Amino acid sequence: MFPAGQQAGNMLRLAWRNVWRNRRRSVITTSSLGFGLAAIMFGQSLIKTLQTQLVEKATGSITGHLQVQHRSIKDYKFPDRYLQSPERAEAALRASPGVTVFGKRIHLTGLVSTPAGSVGALVCAVEPDKERLITTMADHLTSGRYLGGEARGIVMGEKLAQRLDLRLGEKAVVMAQAEDGSMGAGAFRLTGLYRTGSTAFDSQLIYIPLAAAQELLAVGGKVNHLTAKVADLRQVDRIKRDLAEALGAERDLQVLSWKDIDHEIVGIQRYQDGLLTIVLAVVFLIVALGILNTLLMSLFERIREFGVLMAIGARPAWVMELVLFEAALLGLIGSAVGLLGGSAVIAYFGRWGLPLPLGDAISYFMPFPSVVYLRPAWPSHLTAALCVMAVSLAAALAPALRAGRLRPAEALRHV
Amino acid sequence: MSEPRPGGAPLIEVRGVTKVYEGGSKTAAVSSLSVAFEAGEFSAIAGPSGSGKTTLLNIIGTLDRPTHGEVRYEGRRVSHLPREEAADFRLRSLGFVFQAYNLIPVLTAVENVEYPLVLQKVPGAERRSRALEVLSWVGLESFASRRPDGLSGGQQQRVAVARSIVHRPMVVLADEPTANLDSKTAASLLDAMEALNRERGVTFIFSSHDSAVLARARRVVRMHDGRLVP
Repeated sequence: MFPAGQQAGNMLRLAWRNVWRNRRRSVITTSSLGFGLAAIMFGQSLIKTLQTQLVEKATGSITGHLQVQHRSIKDYKFPDRYLQSPERAEAALRASPGVTVFGKRIHLTGLVSTPAGSVGALVCAVEPDKERLITTMADHLTSGRYLGGEARGIVMGEKLAQRLDLRLGEKAVVMAQAEDGSMGAGAFRLTGLYRTGSTAFDSQLIYIPLAAAQELLAVGGKVNHLTAKVADLRQVDRIKRDLAEALGAERDLQVLSWKDIDHEIVGIQRYQDGLLTIVLAVVFLIVALGILNTLLMSLFERIREFGVLMAIGARPAWVMELVLFEAALLGLIGSAVGLLGGSAVIAYFGRWGLPLPLGDAISYFMPFPSVVYLRPAWPSHLTAALCVMAVSLAAALAPALRAGRLRPAEALRHV
Repeated sequence: MSEPRPGGAPLIEVRGVTKVYEGGSKTAAVSSLSVAFEAGEFSAIAGPSGSGKTTLLNIIGTLDRPTHGEVRYEGRRVSHLPREEAADFRLRSLGFVFQAYNLIPVLTAVENVEYPLVLQKVPGAERRSRALEVLSWVGLESFASRRPDGLSGGQQQRVAVARSIVHRPMVVLADEPTANLDSKTAASLLDAMEALNRERGVTFIFSSHDSAVLARARRVVRMHDGRLVP
């Protein structure tokens, strides 16, 4: 629709000067466009950062990116059935090019006791060397050392240790139900204490070596799930599909991604995305009304001028294109202002952080910071900037059509 | 510029044109009017306010369509062309000068003058050279880079005249071109138009109710209440 080459240059020059004919109005219009876009970018960045952190914290604290569990498991967070032959799953995970590391685990509920008392806990039996690479729990140690040095070591949260009046080097007894229904019990020496800030983690989870747990539970080499980390989290669905195909013959196994296990996070993401979409729609509506108002005022002021342009030979389509060019310029300038402003705000909160009370609420369930450091979400930001441009053009359609339909003689009579 | 035609159809032929405006009550601004103009004329349409001069010029200039009748240029019917074709016709064949100058305020004098050439897609260098040439014809070459708000009324109207001829139209239609000018400036503008007609063969048809202006025309067509009068 737009003219090309030199014609476009001429029209652009005229449109540019028309845009700045009423400098104050154009500054207000482009500023409001820019402010709208910057606000959108801030919202996008905040939500994307929160979503990314939620996923990072959830997968990095306990879930991992992928798990292989027994097919009969329905509550994926508590896989209480053992895999009869985990070596088949190990082979498939080892052969998967997207998987960087995987480890075997047993998760089960149990009781941890000291002379001071007994507390129910989620027992996480892990392969220490691999678990360090899969989750970040080792990074939260505040004293002592992580598992690995001692065959019967135990790591727990400071709160739990406090309740049990347990100090480093002292022993606690862990009891859990074995596969055959009997109770297994064993003494473990406290080697490390951690503090994640999450009440649930700090007061309910204990970590012991997998081999010790297998001995305690008399399950031989069995585990109840395997957890893997992938190189590129965006590829997790494809890797999951490939693994499921590779394990297709193994009817007792199922491959799950973090989205299956922590499905509530996916729900939160969807809710946030929906909310963001509504906010975007409102902002774009305001943008459209701003542009429409500016162009209609400009059109009304220049009806006579459009009449002159038509009299000297400008086609109606040319006049329409001129109005659209002016709208495109307003949109372009507004987008540029918004991108600069939005980037500056995101860079500021990326550097200094944004205190977020929501973080405290989330951290009850998982380790989560109360200050978020915003990260730009460029694909979303650029899409929003393009939408501002598109909305500017869409809002200009009605004024452009109106300008194109002006009758020269009537327009020339306009006062 | 257009040369006087040796014979055949007149340059402009207005045949039985009526223009009725549909308002609260139907008003005929022009009634069953027929008139012809030849190439090279320096003619005036005279009449008091409301006599239909502007309406007639608008219809001759394809800016408005007649309710009845037609307008022909060199025998070609142009009065009912589709809007895009009418715009192309005006761009190639007509020049306009308006009472209120009507320059584009954001463009300089030379940019205003060259705008018809921009629409004709004439290359930039040729466009600028032709615009400066016609500005020199009206004595404004040294004001080329000024915007309209930096020019006097008379200078703006000279720029408008330069704009109306830069693309070498068949005819320039000027609606009360001197109405907003003082008598001295008006005389000076008419001098310039007359010189363009005499020396460059530009056909001018202009409207006025000023007897001093009408005295400069070689032919005067008089109107009253939308009709020609002797």
